Amino acid sequence: MKKDGILFHAKHAYRPNILGYCGPDGRGSIQQGLEEGKVGEELVATLKEFEAAYPFLKLIARTTGRDVFDYSVPEAYWIGNPLLDKVPVSEFYGFSHHELQGKDEESVRAVFRKLNGSAVPHHSFYVMSTFAASGETDGPNLENENAKKIAALIDNCRISWGKVKSVGGRELKVEFRPVVIEGGRLGLAKPSLKRVQYNPAVRPFDSVKAGDVVSLHWNYACDVLTPRQSRNLSKYTDADLAMVNRFLGSRAGRSRR
Amino acid sequence: MCVTRAGRVVSVSDGRARVEFFDGRALDEVDVSLVKSKKGEFVEVFGNMALSTLTPSEARAKKKAWAAVVRASTQIAAEARAR
Repeated sequence: MKKDGILFHAKHAYRPNILGYCGPDGRGSIQQGLEEGKVGEELVATLKEFEAAYPFLKLIARTTGRDVFDYSVPEAYWIGNPLLDKVPVSEFYGFSHHELQGKDEESVRAVFRKLNGSAVPHHSFYVMSTFAASGETDGPNLENENAKKIAALIDNCRISWGKVKSVGGRELKVEFRPVVIEGGRLGLAKPSLKRVQYNPAVRPFDSVKAGDVVSLHWNYACDVLTPRQSRNLSKYTDADLAMVNRFLGSRAGRSRR
Repeated sequence: MCVTRAGRVVSVSDGRARVEFFDGRALDEVDVSLVKSKKGEFVEVFGNMALSTLTPSEARAKKKAWAAVVRASTQIAAEARAR
């Protein structure tokens, strides 16, 4: 089994699962696996029950000739790496229609049509495009207090990153750039400080220190990133923002006509 | 990661709702302030926020689709445990 890839995937899937937003209910196998640093059948079976994350990994693996839990596959999905650029957009389009349940077919078509072949199966793109394609959040809603709520939702759901400024027992203070919505467009604000939770029993958080860059999901530090991963997460997030803004811009143009 | 899940609003208080999803689960404290949902209506929820409302016919279609998702993910997990 691809232990490193499974644990990397589990670190990033853990938090929304505990909150009840995705994946199977009520089992401690993810936390146990992470704290013990061990990969067992129950952990793998649990990770395969995630309704969206696991199909995304299968898509990336199938189209790039990798094992589904090869480290590079979950890394591409959560953080971003060049594997994403090798996934044919036609495969991603087909996947979004036929394998990714819960997505509205017309919304999927609209997003892919406007992005003209540039969509990639990156988790943050999925998060941002889900928001962008939602009819209820279109147009005037972005100009009122809803913009802050939606920006906060995107920040929680996407994988973001933060530079550790100080380390507490179960909490880190990190410097982080939140999403802002201004003029109907998404962007990243200037860095600000926020507190996030972490689990010191999960490696490498037993030795996390100021200056480290950590990946974040739902105000929880998932992993300590290498400089390469940190650059990739920033690069692919910027690309996601640009794609989603192109889509939002096309909607705004349409609504003005 | 979060998935867009569909379900029925069973109670609302101060812009927060309890939603029972078609996959058999439920979530308290769903923020329904964007869609201003009422008890008995159907919504699509992403994370902890309702992003859109569904008509009853849309809800029926989603319910059917989610039944297939639950069957498939349960089957995949059962096969993984049996190996």
